Amino acid sequence: MANVADVAPVTGQVEPPAGRSVRGMIAQTEVDFRLFGMLIALAAILLGFHVISGGKLIQPSNMLTLAVQAAGIAIIATGMVLVIVSRNIDLSVGSLVGLIAMTYGVLMTDWFPNIFGLAPDTPFLWVLALAMGIGVGAAIGALQGFIIAYIGVPSFIVTLGGLLTIRGLVWYQSNGAAVNGLDKTFLLIGGGAQGSVGGVLTWGIALVGSIAIVAILINSRRQRRRYGFPVRPIWAEIVLGVAGCAAIIGVAWFANNNFWPQGLADRVAAEQGWGPAPEGGWKIPTGFPFPIVLLIAVTLAMTWIATRRKFGRYVYAYGGNPDAAELAGINTRWTILKTYVLMGILCALAAAIVSARLNGASLDIGDTYELLVISAAVIGGTSFAGGIGTIPGAVLGAFVMYSLKYGLSFVGVNSPGQNIVVGIVLVVAVGLDTINRRRGT
Amino acid sequence: MLDRRIGLLVATLAIVASACSSGGTATTAPQSEAPASEAPASAAPPPSGSAAAGDCTVAVSWNNFQQPRWAAHDEPGIRDTVEAGGGTYISADANLSTEQQLTDVTTMLGQGADVMIILAQDTTVIGPAVQAAKDANVPVIAYDRLIEDPDVLYITFDNIGVGKAEAEAILAAVPTGNYVLIKGDPGDPNASTFLPQGWDDAGLKAKVDAGEITILNGPEGGAGEWPKDYGTYTEAWAPETAQANMEAIIDKAVADGNQIDAVLAENDSTALGVAAALTGKNYDPYPPVSGQDGDPANLNNVAKGLQYVDVWKNANELGKTAGAAALALCAGGDMASLTLQDGLIDPAVAPAAGLTATAFETPGGNSVSSFILTPTPLTAENLQLAIDGGQVTKEQLCAGVDAATAPPACQ
Repeated sequence: MANVADVAPVTGQVEPPAGRSVRGMIAQTEVDFRLFGMLIALAAILLGFHVISGGKLIQPSNMLTLAVQAAGIAIIATGMVLVIVSRNIDLSVGSLVGLIAMTYGVLMTDWFPNIFGLAPDTPFLWVLALAMGIGVGAAIGALQGFIIAYIGVPSFIVTLGGLLTIRGLVWYQSNGAAVNGLDKTFLLIGGGAQGSVGGVLTWGIALVGSIAIVAILINSRRQRRRYGFPVRPIWAEIVLGVAGCAAIIGVAWFANNNFWPQGLADRVAAEQGWGPAPEGGWKIPTGFPFPIVLLIAVTLAMTWIATRRKFGRYVYAYGGNPDAAELAGINTRWTILKTYVLMGILCALAAAIVSARLNGASLDIGDTYELLVISAAVIGGTSFAGGIGTIPGAVLGAFVMYSLKYGLSFVGVNSPGQNIVVGIVLVVAVGLDTINRRRGT
Repeated sequence: MLDRRIGLLVATLAIVASACSSGGTATTAPQSEAPASEAPASAAPPPSGSAAAGDCTVAVSWNNFQQPRWAAHDEPGIRDTVEAGGGTYISADANLSTEQQLTDVTTMLGQGADVMIILAQDTTVIGPAVQAAKDANVPVIAYDRLIEDPDVLYITFDNIGVGKAEAEAILAAVPTGNYVLIKGDPGDPNASTFLPQGWDDAGLKAKVDAGEITILNGPEGGAGEWPKDYGTYTEAWAPETAQANMEAIIDKAVADGNQIDAVLAENDSTALGVAAALTGKNYDPYPPVSGQDGDPANLNNVAKGLQYVDVWKNANELGKTAGAAALALCAGGDMASLTLQDGLIDPAVAPAAGLTATAFETPGGNSVSSFILTPTPLTAENLQLAIDGGQVTKEQLCAGVDAATAPPACQ
C-alpha cells in the first residue's frame, strides 16, 4: 500500500495471497480494490435511483447526459490528483475555467471577426481558439506554479488569490455581460446529438479498446515470464480479458441505443434533403459524445504520465517524502511548477466543453468547480497527506459524485439537498478510507 | 480487504437511501410518487374547457429559489393549475448556475416532459437548453424572463408598465433633486432595457434632460449612453451586492457633499439591499425607495416607511397563467393563437390585450407569442391589497411597525 499510483500489475517479488476465498481469488486477479469498490458503489447508486424513479433513470439518453456533466470535473480532477499528491492544492480551477470559457466566447464572437479580421466561417477557427485557451491556461498555471514553487508562497494562498483575481478578470473580459454564438465546429466539443461520434465510430472505438486490453494482458504476461515475475493464474487473465471487453462493448452498445431527437433529425433531414422519414421516424445512433471521448483520452494520457513518465514518478516521490525526493536529486521546484501548467491545460479542455455546451459563456461558469474537483479527487482516494492517489480513481470519484447529484435531481431533490448528500458522502468516504489505512499498514 | 470495501459500499448506500427518504418529504413537488402514466387514474375531474390533458407532464426549470417569490407564489400557482387539469408537475432548481439549468432541462426532457417552462438564469446562454426542448418537439414557455427565440411563448407582467409605475410613484414624491438608480443583473433584459424604458415613460429622461433631476451614479464625466451607462448594475440581483454598491454610493455622495433625494431600485431584492445600506448608515432624511415583486420583507419595509413603493406583480396569477397555457399547449393548442380559460385569472391583472396570446416584439428582433399581465403599485395607503391577495399575512406585514406611524392596513 506504499504507493497506489500504479493501477498496472505490481511488480514486486511477493506472491499474491492465494486461496479459495473470494478475497483470495480477487487478490489473484490483482484488481485494485479501491477502484473495484467504487465501480460497485457507482452501479449501486445508479440502480438505487433507477428503482426509486420507477425504472426511468437508466436510459441511454440520461446516462450520456450524466457522463457529459461529469466529464469537465473529471478531466480537471485528473490534474488535481497530481497537485494534491505533491502536497499542494489548487483553488483557482473554477475561476480559471470561467476565464478560459469567456476567452473562447469573446474570441469567437468579438476578437476573431473584429480584431483579427477572420470571417466566422474560416476553417480551423476552433483549433485556433482552443490553442489560445490552452495557452491562457498554461500561462496562468505557470505563473501560479512559479510563485508556489520558486518563491515559496503556500499554494492555498496563491490559488485563493487566483480564485478571486481570475474571477474578477472574467467580468472585465466581457464587460459583465454573457456572450453567445460560438464557432459551429467548436460546438461539437460540447456533445449533444450532433456533437457525438456516431454509431460506426463508437463500435470502432470499442473494437480498438477490446484489442488493446487483450494485447496489454498478453504482453504483460510475456514480460513477467521473461523476467521471472509471478504471473496471474490463467483463469484470472481470462476473467479480466472477458470482463474488460464485455464492459467496453456493453457501454458502446448502450451509447448506440441513444438516438437523435426526432425534432432535430427531421430538421436536419429537411436541410440536407434526406428524403421522407422512414417508418417510425429516424433512428440515428449518437454513440459516444465528444466530451466523453475527450475524457477517455485525457484519462489514458494522464495515467500514462503519472505512472510511466519520469515527471509522474517524481510527483509521487515528492509527495511521499519531499526531503528524500530533493536529496535524490529531483528538481522538485520544476516538477511542482509543471503540475500547475498541466492543471491550466486541463482547465482549458474543461472550459471548452462547458462553453460549447452553452454555445457561449456567462459570468458564473466554473463557480464552485474547485470544490467539486477536490471532492472528486478525494472520493477517488487521493490523500491530503501526499503521495497517494490515482487518476482513474479521481475519474470514478467524479462519476460517483455526479451520479449522486444527478440521481437526486432526477427524483426531485433540489440543489441544497444534493449538496447535503454529497457533503456527507465526501466525509464518510474519506473517513472509511482513513480507518482502512490505519488498519491496513 | 474486500469486506472493508463492502463496508464502504453499504455505508454509501445507507446515506443515499436515508437522503432520498428525507429528501422526498422535504421537496414540495410530488413528482417522485406520481409518474406521468399513472396520473390519470387518480386525477381530479378535469375542469370544463379544452385544457384537460390527462397525460400532460409540465416541467419547470427554476433558476433559483433564493428570491422568496418563486417558491411561495409562482410554483403553487403553476402546480395547482396543472394538477387540477389532470397533469403532472415536475421541477428542478438550477441554484443560479447556467450549466446546471441546461442539465436540468435535459434531465426533465428525459423524464418525459411535454411542456417546458423555463425561468432563465441567463437569457443569452439558455439557447442550447431551448434548442434541446425544440429538438424533442417540446414547446417552451419563457416564464417571467424573456428568452430570445422566436418559438417560445412569453408569459410575464408588463415590465415596462412595472418600471413606469415605480418611477411615477417616486417622481410624484420627489419631482426634482438627486436620484440614485440601482439596476438588476446586467444579463437580464428586464434590468437593462424594459424597466429603464418604463422609467422613461414616466418622464425620468425628460426631467434629467431638463436638469430637474441629477443622476448621482451616472457615468464618469457625465458623458454616456442613456439609459445603459446610468445607474449601478447588481449581479444576480443579489441584495448583498446592492447593499455594498449602495454603501459606496452613499459614501461618495457624502464626500461630494450631495444629498440623495430618491432611489429608483429595480426590484425588491435590490431595494432590500438599498434599505439596509441607508439604515446601516443612518441616512437622514430617509429618501423614497422603489421596488417591485411584493416580497413580504419589502412590504414590511413599506409599512415601516423604509420603502416608498413596491410594484406588485401578483405572482399567483402569473403562475396560474403559465399552468393554464401549459395545459392548453399539451392539448395541442397552437402557440400563436393560444386562448386561456375564462375566469381562471383575476380580471384586475389579466392581460390588457385579453385572454388570447398576442405577438410581442423582443429587443433582439424576434416576434414571440405572449401573455402580458398588469402590475399593481403598492404604497403605505393600499397595502391591504397584498393581504387580501395572500401575498403577505398581517403579522408579517406589520411586524415591528411603530403604532404611531402605522399605515391603514396595520391599524
